Formats: sequence, structure tokens, C-alpha cells
Amino acid sequence: MAATLCSKLLPKQGWLPLTQSVRHGSKAVTRHRKPLHIQKQKLLAVTQYIPPAREFPPGAYPSQTKHVQEDNDLTLLMKRELKKLFEDCKMIAVVQNSSSSAEDMMTLRHRLYKHNITVKFFPNKVVRSFLSDSIYCNMGLLFVGPTVMFVSKEPKVKEMLTTLRGSPQMTLLGACIDNTLLSAQGIVSYSKLPSMTVIQGEVVSGLSMLTSHTAYLLQRHPAHLSQLLQQYIKQQSSDGSAEAAPKAEEAT
Amino acid sequence: MAAPSKATVVLKAVKKITVQFCPFESNVRSTREFLNLVGSEKARATNMNCEVIPVVKHDKSEPVVDITYVDGEKLLMKGANLTSSEMLSAFQSRCVAKDPQAKVGEKK
Repeated sequence: MAATLCSKLLPKQGWLPLTQSVRHGSKAVTRHRKPLHIQKQKLLAVTQYIPPAREFPPGAYPSQTKHVQEDNDLTLLMKRELKKLFEDCKMIAVVQNSSSSAEDMMTLRHRLYKHNITVKFFPNKVVRSFLSDSIYCNMGLLFVGPTVMFVSKEPKVKEMLTTLRGSPQMTLLGACIDNTLLSAQGIVSYSKLPSMTVIQGEVVSGLSMLTSHTAYLLQRHPAHLSQLLQQYIKQQSSDGSAEAAPKAEEAT
Repeated sequence: MAAPSKATVVLKAVKKITVQFCPFESNVRSTREFLNLVGSEKARATNMNCEVIPVVKHDKSEPVVDITYVDGEKLLMKGANLTSSEMLSAFQSRCVAKDPQAKVGEKK
């Protein structure tokens, strides 16, 4: 309802028209809420949104269909790498680092590399989904929060423990050595085990001890008898030589 | 749950923090997050004398955070049913209550 001044009505400049339509009512933009036009009101009332009635609240029951995301290519690549890692390396340790600066990380990696232990970083989701498919499903619980993996082909547990003792922020959570899942205390006791050859020697000696004992028992009597006979012969020969010596002395 | 109200954790009034958990349980997430927040470089830098000791067990025990303050008071938090932000807010409120003068002096 704006008052428009047409150029035709004003032949001369500055001539105001006889009738001016004045705005009445409120403008479009008001400070208060403008009452809706009745037609608009009716339309809104008719087309109001009524949500479908739910039997139970949304969070009450777990969803039936789990939304499975398809793996994108990077995830597949990481999974392949993980698979290779698990096949190659005998020892995989999971360590949580609450905080370590880049320098600490570098010194730690350097020290571990001397013992052929590599440090690997993988996103937790990928690792957990990979582990749940493979046989190492119980390891999945370890991968929560900022975790780092130490992998190596040879299980060098003692060196790893000594290196980790140097950095206080690293917390050893668990390890998978020779396809057996070990806890922190398990790792410590594993490190205290003697080497394979020593254990084999101990087992062999323990088994053979019984058989050697039996053989000794069986041979005890004849051995004793032969000892006694030898002693007797010695005595006889010494008596004979003792008699022969004084006889020879008497003769000469 | 990642960012608490205050970005830095001030450990000035704390003597020792022992965080004990069993990683093979499913209720340790909040305790581990709390350990990350408290054991970060920034937090350690506020007080070099404070020790943060993580203990890893395997006996299906509950995750427990044991905090010893400088004046001898102890705070025990059982993290099985707590979130990390709740634990952090409780811990920080007590820290602030113990050490308000030092903080106010720092701010000024």
C-alpha cells in the first residue's frame, strides 16, 4: 500500500498530488508479532504436521538392523596390512600412551628399532572391526583410546619392558605372543621364562632320571658282588705278595 | 566427552594419582580417558612433583582412581559407571577448593 507518485500526475516539479494514500495499519516488519491474516491462519491449521504415533520411546529398545558401513578403500588397505602384520609377527603388544611429545616418541622408536621392534599406528575402529572377524576377537577390547602397537618378529619381551620402563607415560595393556593373548602380568612372567634349550634340557633330565634310577637299582646287586670279589682278590694278592716278600727275605 | 569445561588440568594441589584398571573389561573407557587427560604433558607441567601412576591388572576388578592431595586428603573415584567428564569435574572442583588463593593470584 505504498504511496507511489507517478510522473504523469505531477506535471511540474514539486507539485504534490491532491490525494495521498497513507499507509495504515502496521508495516511488514514489526517489533511485535503481527496477527496472521485469517486465510493464512486457516491454511496453517489445516496443513499442520501430525507426527506418527510411536508405541515406545526411541531409545528404549536396541535397533534391530545394525547399520553396517561399507569399508572404503583405505580401510581395506589397512585391513590387508593388519592381516599381513598378524601373520608375520610373533609378538604384538598394545600400549597406551596418555601423552608423549614427539621427541619422546622418537627416542622410544629409536630404542625399540635397535631390537627390531617397530611401532605401528592404526585407527581403533579399523582394528576392532578387523579383529572381530579374525580369531583374535578378544583383543578388540584393548583398543580403546590412544593406543599404539609394538610389533616384532621375534618375541623380545625383556628388551621391550626395559625400554618401556624408561618412559613413564606408556602403559602396557596386553600382548599377543605366539597367538596367545597375555595380560600385563603374563608378559612379565613370560619374560622371566628361560630359553627353549634350557627348558628342553630340564624336561629330558627329569624324564631320564626315573629310568636311570631303575637301572641303578637293577644293577646294584651284581655291582656290589663284583666289587666284593675284586676286593677279595686284591686282599689275596696282597697277602700272597706279603708272604712271598718275607719268605724271600728269609731265604736271602 | 572429549573437552571438559576447562582446557587445562591443574595439578598443583595433588601429590599422587594412581589409576588402576583392567583393560580386558568393557567399563574402563572413562577411566582410560581420565588417565589421558590427567597424564598429558600440560597437566604434568603444572606440577612436576606429582606422580601419575597407571596400574594394569587382570583380576576383573573395577577401575579405580585414587588421588592423594598435598594436605593428605584422599579422593577415591570408582569409574565403572562414571563418565570421564564427571570424574574430571569432581576432581577439578576439589582442586580449586583446595587451592583457590594460588589460582586467583595466578589469574591476577
